[in-house]
Amino acid sequence: MIGFALRALLFVGALALAAFLPTWLSTFRTYEFAYVGIYFIAILGLNILTGYTGQISLGQGAFMALGGYTTAILMADHGVKDVWTLPLAGLAAGVAGYLFGIPALRLRGPYLALATFAIAVSLPTLLLYDKLDRLTHGEEGINLFGIPESTASITPLRVLGHDLPFEKWIYYLTWTIAAALFLAAWLLLRGRTGRSFRAVRDSEVAAAVSGVHPAAYKTLAFGISAFYAGVAGGLYAMATTFVNPGTFPVALSLTLLVGAVASGLGSLWGLLAGAFLVEYLPTLAGKVSSQPGVASVVYGGILIALVVLLPDGAAGGLRRLARPLTSGRVFRS
Amino acid sequence: MKRVFLVGMLPLAAVAVTAALAAGGAAAPSSDPGVSNSQVLIGGTAPLTGEAAAAGLTASGANAYFQWVNAHGGVKGRKIRYKVVDDGYDPAKTVQGTRQLVVQDHVFALFNSVGTSQNIAIRPYLNQVKVPQLFVASGWSGWGRDYRKYPFTMGFIPTYSAEGKIYARHILATRKNAKIAVLYQNDEYGREVLSGLRAGLGKRSRQIVAARGYDPSEPSVQSEVASLRSSNANTLMIFAFGTRAIQAFVTVKKLGWKPQIYVNAVSAATTTMRIASSTGQTEGAISIGFFKDPADPRWAKDKGYRLYRSIMKRFLPGKTVSNGYYMAGMAAACAMTQALRSAGRNLTRGGLMRAVTRLNFKDPFTLPGIRVKTTPTDRFPIQQAQLERWHKGRWHPFGRLLAAR
Repeated sequence: MIGFALRALLFVGALALAAFLPTWLSTFRTYEFAYVGIYFIAILGLNILTGYTGQISLGQGAFMALGGYTTAILMADHGVKDVWTLPLAGLAAGVAGYLFGIPALRLRGPYLALATFAIAVSLPTLLLYDKLDRLTHGEEGINLFGIPESTASITPLRVLGHDLPFEKWIYYLTWTIAAALFLAAWLLLRGRTGRSFRAVRDSEVAAAVSGVHPAAYKTLAFGISAFYAGVAGGLYAMATTFVNPGTFPVALSLTLLVGAVASGLGSLWGLLAGAFLVEYLPTLAGKVSSQPGVASVVYGGILIALVVLLPDGAAGGLRRLARPLTSGRVFRS
Repeated sequence: MKRVFLVGMLPLAAVAVTAALAAGGAAAPSSDPGVSNSQVLIGGTAPLTGEAAAAGLTASGANAYFQWVNAHGGVKGRKIRYKVVDDGYDPAKTVQGTRQLVVQDHVFALFNSVGTSQNIAIRPYLNQVKVPQLFVASGWSGWGRDYRKYPFTMGFIPTYSAEGKIYARHILATRKNAKIAVLYQNDEYGREVLSGLRAGLGKRSRQIVAARGYDPSEPSVQSEVASLRSSNANTLMIFAFGTRAIQAFVTVKKLGWKPQIYVNAVSAATTTMRIASSTGQTEGAISIGFFKDPADPRWAKDKGYRLYRSIMKRFLPGKTVSNGYYMAGMAAACAMTQALRSAGRNLTRGGLMRAVTRLNFKDPFTLPGIRVKTTPTDRFPIQQAQLERWHKGRWHPFGRLLAAR
């Protein structure tokens, strides 16, 4: 039980650190870290589906788009305060994910990856569809900056006698939600549901023999994963204060999968690294040279190096680092 | 239980990462953002990486021009510093980058940010915080049209719809019975050229026998071109960007189709056309231009071109002088310099907007006869263009300068 107490203590410690970070960081860094939190949530969701249940998805960005548009439409056209749109954004994407999970049951491995990729590719075009224009406003998109439903986007929020500018507000909101969703995922995955997910991943036949219904758990994983993506997408819309089809490009889905692999599939402890990678690797790669094309090669090179050196992602790296100290016990949580 | 150790690593790692990142601190804000006695700081976003990276070269061209201005004493005693943030052509990154420029770097104005969606995404924000968004590198007509709602925003090049109208007029004047097929990028940009073409054709817009849009994320436009071919059109409009335009030429060739081709200006850079030329289908293609094409030998003795070349040699040594994107960047930078100059020594954002909406000068990098001209109610800086025909590896202008409205 000491272990649990310590773990809880460390979780609280990490939270406290996150709470004080903005006092040391510039406003803009804080804003960037808010995006790290958003990617954290999206990758966490993707990891539940891909890492724990073994269903490869290249469509996480599309579910983020669903959440983002839900938030934007509710805020701009229906006067709903930003924070209250988030559960609905999660729900909208979650239901869509669950429904997608049903036909996806017929597909496996690379075929499933292709089907999910198809959603990511087709969604931007669907958002531009003329008949949906009144809802989505086409390419011009939906602006959220400066509207009354958007907290602190113009005047800072007063909290306990402190001024909270937009960048910090969105940082705190994102990381509070990220912490709550992390806790929820951790509790879910260490229990019966998580065991069933892993059973389905490792062998569907064996899972079925042990009384786990693979179809039910696969669709459930799709639903949960899309719910996380939806919440992340809602926050993404709030932070960007704008949505249009271009804000959720196909590349977003791909980078999220890259982030999930870099974090370490099937483990929650490398997520932070994956989220930082998604936010900062493109920028860092661009710093190497301003020559066109170099950045993409550097980006690709770093990814290859990561996969070779850390085949199990950041979580695997931590595990390997810790191995000499932990008498060879292998952790999976 | 020993897992605790790993959990402990997490905050430690976080501290290490944040400490490393926090090192880049914020600049001290001055009373008038971005302006000091010796310097004015402007900024912009551009795709320095990714698929649209070629367009990012406009930023290098612009920066070279500012360096040249600075080498000659700057503007009213101030040096122009131009900070470019890479957005990889991703609007969400454009928003982040723009906020970085405004909140962290305290830029005086945004200049030459690239892309239609990208600039639409930051327009409401910049207008709320009253930071000028100038000489946007996109031909969307909204930049000049929506000035009542977004008074701090302005474009630069002729609008896409004006370009479509010019092609329509050329068809009506030369080949009245043309049967037209259109390939267009299915977004705000491609659809605007198409609607301009329709408007220009007026009653004759029925002559558009087929139009196919493609999504920017599609890897190839082959199937679209094939379906256009089956419409039996004898004229093909390529309103496509970059590599998609080249693919269109290649596919036309593969299908053994020989239509009269029109290609929109954003994809008609000589460097792009030369790649497509290997198909042999580019010969006789028609487009419009408004900047001097550095690949065109007829400018060899031109003053504007010689200035361009000397700036390239001095500030971008080793770069391809014949690349038209550098020229486009310098043309915009020249307009920016002009605006800063007429805004006076007492530089304010309001004053800059007053100057920007009263431009009237000859840009040395635009075609002879073009005046960069704006008024508070007419905010389209370049409103003239020249038809040109591709022949033997370069563009040959024909006819007179046309109004592009």
